[in-house]
Amino acid sequence: MTEPAATAATRPHIEVRGLDFHYHQHHALKHIDMDIPARQVTAIIGPSGCGKSTLLRVFNRIYAIYPGLRAAGEVRLDGDNILDPRYSMNRLRSKVGMVFQKPVPFPMTIFENVAWGIRHHEKLKGTAMEQRVEQALRSAALWDEVKDKLKASALGLSGGQQQRLCIARGIALKPEVLLLDEPTSALDPIATGRIEQLIEELKRDFTIVIVTHNMQQAARVSDRTAFMYLGELVEIGDTETLFTRPGKQQTEDYITGRFG
Amino acid sequence: MPHSNDHIIKSYDTELGRLTGEILRMGELAAKQLDAAIEAVERRDQGVARHIVDNDDAIDTMEHAINNDVVRLLALRAPMARDLRAVFAALRVASDIERIGDYAANVAKRAIPLSLAAPVAPAAGLRRLATLANAALAEVLEAYRALDAERALRVWQGDTRLDEAYTAVFRELLTYMMEDPRSITPCTHLLFMAKNIERIGDHATNIAENIWYVVHGEPLTLPRHSHDTTTDPDYPHLGNPR
Repeated sequence: MTEPAATAATRPHIEVRGLDFHYHQHHALKHIDMDIPARQVTAIIGPSGCGKSTLLRVFNRIYAIYPGLRAAGEVRLDGDNILDPRYSMNRLRSKVGMVFQKPVPFPMTIFENVAWGIRHHEKLKGTAMEQRVEQALRSAALWDEVKDKLKASALGLSGGQQQRLCIARGIALKPEVLLLDEPTSALDPIATGRIEQLIEELKRDFTIVIVTHNMQQAARVSDRTAFMYLGELVEIGDTETLFTRPGKQQTEDYITGRFG
Repeated sequence: MPHSNDHIIKSYDTELGRLTGEILRMGELAAKQLDAAIEAVERRDQGVARHIVDNDDAIDTMEHAINNDVVRLLALRAPMARDLRAVFAALRVASDIERIGDYAANVAKRAIPLSLAAPVAPAAGLRRLATLANAALAEVLEAYRALDAERALRVWQGDTRLDEAYTAVFRELLTYMMEDPRSITPCTHLLFMAKNIERIGDHATNIAENIWYVVHGEPLTLPRHSHDTTTDPDYPHLGNPR
């Protein structure tokens, strides 16, 4: 599936072109072409093993830390191919943040969880750092719940709070893109609702890509939805159309619960 | 049906199937009501007419049951894509059938005063209209059962025949009323009854549109010429100076 070439004004934030990915012998992503528009939420759905998490991981080159994994093709972020080895990992990390399925707070204080990443990229001290941490916690809708216990261990927070802390940690670096890999699958419905509300607020400032097994969640939070199957992008379109009248039979069968 | 493959959760299929079954039973009951109403007119049978009017409650009860099932399906199954369209369409189709039942009951209701007046010849035209309306209803229910959009389209296009038949009855009734003012009361009843039956055809076309939507995911937008010309300003027989 090829999307029409974009003009500069409407250029997608991320352009995936002819992307192939191999885990050793396994061909996990097969020639993916995909556009991800700026400051919108793009959801990726599909059965387990379809390659959706792999695709997300390519967007921040997290795979590069493991041997035997290789990507070919292009993933252009603001026009620059991030798969190019000359594209520095530090630059990529500052532009693309990621939140995982299980919240992984560092075993340190709530404040330090957010400040730690910032220190890797910027030299902020005293009030400047405090302000940045507060801003990140506010953006992640966590500030009111933790402002009186910033020095407490992050491990004492509830699962939902821990996940919002991870989001705060991600956005503290002021990235452009936020990758969410099943961010609510370990959370109860109330905590899930808070994260979904947060996603809606965050898309004003960030381009968000979310991988989810929960189709209702994709329908609720995303502007565009991509359906992947067996390493291929079957269909991508605006979420409303994809869930009410998808173009491909495979998509139809999957979202109506006819195959797994 | 193009979807031979079933849902992974089998009870979901059972529930969707039950919804279709309820709609079909409701539609068949409405068709029977119309048939019986015409019989009540022809046989001038007040007892049958009253029975039909009372029976309309059964159709309303079925509509409530369908509404409940739709709400439950939406809440518990969160249907998507074609399933979602089917569930949404079921709600609308049930409401169309409920209206059809109301029109059949209205025809029966007027059969009572009509049977008290002297017989008028144009009553025969009503049977012709009802046959067309019931054929459209039976056909559209079959299209619904099979989710056959082409069949539904033919019903939709065929409504012009019912419109034309209605216009003919309208014209006939006007002629009678002009010839004999004593026929005005029964003919007026017949006029309303004819209009009711013509409306049944319109609801059958609504059902056809919903079937089209379920299958294709978009509304039926073909142009269709209305053949009910009784509202045309230059329509003859109105007694207006021309």
